[in-house]
Amino acid sequence: MQTTLAKKICIYLAAALLALVIALPVLWLFIMSISSSTHLTTLPLEWWPDSPTLENYRSLLIYAENTPSQSFLYAIRNSIFIALAATGLSICAAIPAAYSFSRMPGPRRKNLLYAVIAIFMLPPVALVLPLYTVMSALGLLNTHFALIIVYCSILLPFATWLLKSNFDTIPGDLDEAPIIDGANRLQAIWYVILPIARPALGAAVMMSVLLAWDEFFYGLLFTNDIRSKTITVAIADLAAGRVADYGLISAAGILAAVPPVILAFFMQKTLVSGLASGSVKG
Amino acid sequence: MISHRKTVTAWLLLTPMIVMILGVSGYPLIKTVYYSMTGAKLVAPELTDNWVWFHNYIRALSSANFREAIWHTTYFAVISVGVEMIIGVMVALLLNEVFVGRTLLRAMLILPLALPTVVNAMMWRLIYNPDFGALNALLVQFGMLDAYRSWLGDPATALDMVIVADVWKNFPLVALIALAALQTVPKDLYEAATLDGAGMWNRFWRITLPAIMGPLSVALVLRTIEAFKVFDIIYVMTRGGPASSTKTVSFYVYQEAFAYMRVGSGASYALIVVLISACLIAGYMYLIRKHGEA
Amino acid sequence: MSSISLSNVTKTFGAANIIKGVDLSIEDGELVVFVGPSGCGKSTLLRLISGLEEITSGQIHLGKKRVDHLSAASRDIAMVFQSYALYPHMTVAENIGFPLKMAGKSKAEIEAKTNEIGTILQLLPLFERTPKQLSGGQRQRVAIGRALARDPQIILLDEPLSNLDAALRVDMRMELARLHRDLKATMIYVTHDQVEAMTMADRIVVLRDGIVEQVGSPLDLYLTPVNQFVAGFIGSPRMNFWDATTNENGDLLLPSGTALSLPRKLTAHQPVTVGVRPEHLVLAADDGTAALQGTVLSVEHLGSDTFVQLHCGFGDPAQVDINVRFAGIVPVRIGERVNLSVASLDNWHIFDAEGIRVEAAQ
Ligand SMILES: Nc1ncnc2c1ncn2[C@@H]1O[C@H](COP(=O)(O)OP(=O)(O)OP(=O)(O)O)[C@@H](O)[C@H]1O
Ligand SMILES: [Mg+2]
Repeated sequence: MQTTLAKKICIYLAAALLALVIALPVLWLFIMSISSSTHLTTLPLEWWPDSPTLENYRSLLIYAENTPSQSFLYAIRNSIFIALAATGLSICAAIPAAYSFSRMPGPRRKNLLYAVIAIFMLPPVALVLPLYTVMSALGLLNTHFALIIVYCSILLPFATWLLKSNFDTIPGDLDEAPIIDGANRLQAIWYVILPIARPALGAAVMMSVLLAWDEFFYGLLFTNDIRSKTITVAIADLAAGRVADYGLISAAGILAAVPPVILAFFMQKTLVSGLASGSVKG
Repeated sequence: MISHRKTVTAWLLLTPMIVMILGVSGYPLIKTVYYSMTGAKLVAPELTDNWVWFHNYIRALSSANFREAIWHTTYFAVISVGVEMIIGVMVALLLNEVFVGRTLLRAMLILPLALPTVVNAMMWRLIYNPDFGALNALLVQFGMLDAYRSWLGDPATALDMVIVADVWKNFPLVALIALAALQTVPKDLYEAATLDGAGMWNRFWRITLPAIMGPLSVALVLRTIEAFKVFDIIYVMTRGGPASSTKTVSFYVYQEAFAYMRVGSGASYALIVVLISACLIAGYMYLIRKHGEA
Repeated sequence: MSSISLSNVTKTFGAANIIKGVDLSIEDGELVVFVGPSGCGKSTLLRLISGLEEITSGQIHLGKKRVDHLSAASRDIAMVFQSYALYPHMTVAENIGFPLKMAGKSKAEIEAKTNEIGTILQLLPLFERTPKQLSGGQRQRVAIGRALARDPQIILLDEPLSNLDAALRVDMRMELARLHRDLKATMIYVTHDQVEAMTMADRIVVLRDGIVEQVGSPLDLYLTPVNQFVAGFIGSPRMNFWDATTNENGDLLLPSGTALSLPRKLTAHQPVTVGVRPEHLVLAADDGTAALQGTVLSVEHLGSDTFVQLHCGFGDPAQVDINVRFAGIVPVRIGERVNLSVASLDNWHIFDAEGIRVEAAQ
């Protein structure tokens, strides 16, 4: 009796501590985002603004030339476009590849699969120099196209691996049946495998979008103005800017975090089971 | 003759992926190797290349600065991943207990994971701000610190503070993987052990840890590989400073190639990083093959 | 048109030789059953015919057309999988209509055909359900319906009834037999069930280890198995075997010393194996004339039959455990000593040292 009560108390204390550790930094970011910059630079620091304001959000979201809102809104647009296009391209190539790896195994293809995973894990510094010189030679620096292509080096192996692990769980008969029924391989994939694997496909799409949204290194190097700067680069710029408007920076951070956080909560189950199966099964 | 229709189809289905991977990864990797043996410059790299064999490598390995960057990277990787593993497992054990609010807490773990790395870095940079940061304010107001400190401006603390930010973002990953593994451990195993008189400590070492060791080791290697690439968080929080105290290898390569425009030697640095990563990746491959076949 | 012929078909997976040269011809409209021990290559052979696997060497003809280089889709063969392989995301109607959709048929044609099949198989009330909402027998019917959609000339079935319970199995067996009669399609049927094989097959193909051991009508196999393997495999309970020899006259010399005069003489002085089916042994009087003596090990009364296990032989030496099946109720008790004789001279099966049948049919 005594020990279980003590244990209960310990558990709730630990849970509360954990909740605080996770929530406080983000909460503070949010508080900063609704504070005026004068309030944030008053000493001693106060923990709640006397007059919460949405001014920071307004100045980011209402478009005006040559203001932070211009670069911010363009960056959001660029990131959305690049993330979706790179995801689409990668998924299109990943689906047949994953099918082939999963349903038509062979020793050479197995080695190729491991090679693909190894490439996924290579540090980007190993690839960035030639990619940069080629893009620069082709005049593609500072275009969406360059980042879309380059992001495929990250998204494609990842999506292939994720889909392959999922296709593995579909019984073998289910893709032989359509072949018998007169379908070719592409039809078998389209009409049978993909509908069955739709949750995994959704997870692959969402996680690819998250990866692309989060990317910074290539974005930093391959873009230099509002035409193609991504949101991560824009935030880094803001954070390093001469005018340190902490409220504005925080608001930008919050806004940049909203899409991935919503996406992640939305697909919490798939995310967790994807993580788990990825690490349990390899 | 006998055709191998199936094999042909199998390769045809792989073709789009192979072409893309060769284009965006295979070719660049080989070209990096080529660059690493030349004195190529970022401006017009093809014009200025002159073959220097292994000169770049020799210079890289004898450069004290680069060795220091390797040391910073190793320190960052070992400490951050180590702490993430310990906290992650503890959090997983906590969440494996039954209590009110467990589901909410587990959902909260997603928050740091989903936060973009750059936003995370920026957030902590603001928190660490020497003049108006929340950390200083908090510590001073609670009387734990006498005067404001420049957490990221002091070479003695900068890297550790970056590690804190990294741990905050990534321990949930370990926790979620460990939690998923924990939930596959049959309950009666614990009950049997309790009946056998095993205490809590014993149960953890004898049952829990072995049961989650597989997924945990995969997570460990994965996180280490990631930690070795670290760039974003460094760039946003410290730009390698102060006094190069947070300069990691990725940042070093970035500077060499894009600030000093020395593509040739930058490539050689990059390949040394690749070599270190390759050992880790080989470890990862070994683990997934082992678990894949089990 | 829809006869099937295999000549010298082989299949290797990597280094493993799974099908080792199969010659087989199946007539148009025949129902042929493949039997054999687990792992002998029945499914593989079926998949080779369907085109799901490619042969390593040899030829396959459907009718006069050589097909071994054709893809599965262009062979126009239907197949029913053991797991049914129903598409979980499609309704029953969509499942049955899928092959027609792949064949590029119009919506109206597909609907007409699926309705026709639904009527035959009594599936119409289930058309809007998904496979998850069906019972095992219903799923089985949908799988068959899907196979019938394209009016196939050839239907392959790999253990189609093995996931059903016993009663349903009997029903479906009859239904399949009826379908076969009505459709006049060529069917190849893989099963582990002796009764299914014996009752449904026009001919049975016995496979062992990638080789065809015997092809023949069920009664052929039962009456004149060409070797000891087939003799042991066909029939349930399995045939009983004893070692014996032949005497100088070429007659069978049983271990008890009794000689059995055969209508056709064998080579003198050779070791042989004699086999008698459990149902061909009868109780005999204890007057010294009985061929076999044994001790009862166990008794199972089924009413219609009595299954008895005995430790039994020709005289005391070389006793082995055998099975006997008596018609009706026979009052024997465990531990009891009984005398047995063989019902008729035809019931003796004799195999040489290599296991090949030595006694030609009379
Ligand atoms: N794709 C494959 N790769 C390697 N070996 C295989 C493959 N498919 C089948 N085999 C092997 O071929 C042999 C025959 O398999 P098959 O499935 O044809 O047996 P079966 O007679 O259908 O057995 P069962 O009665 O158990 O269904 C087995 O030893 C099996 O392991
Ligand atoms: Mg089989």
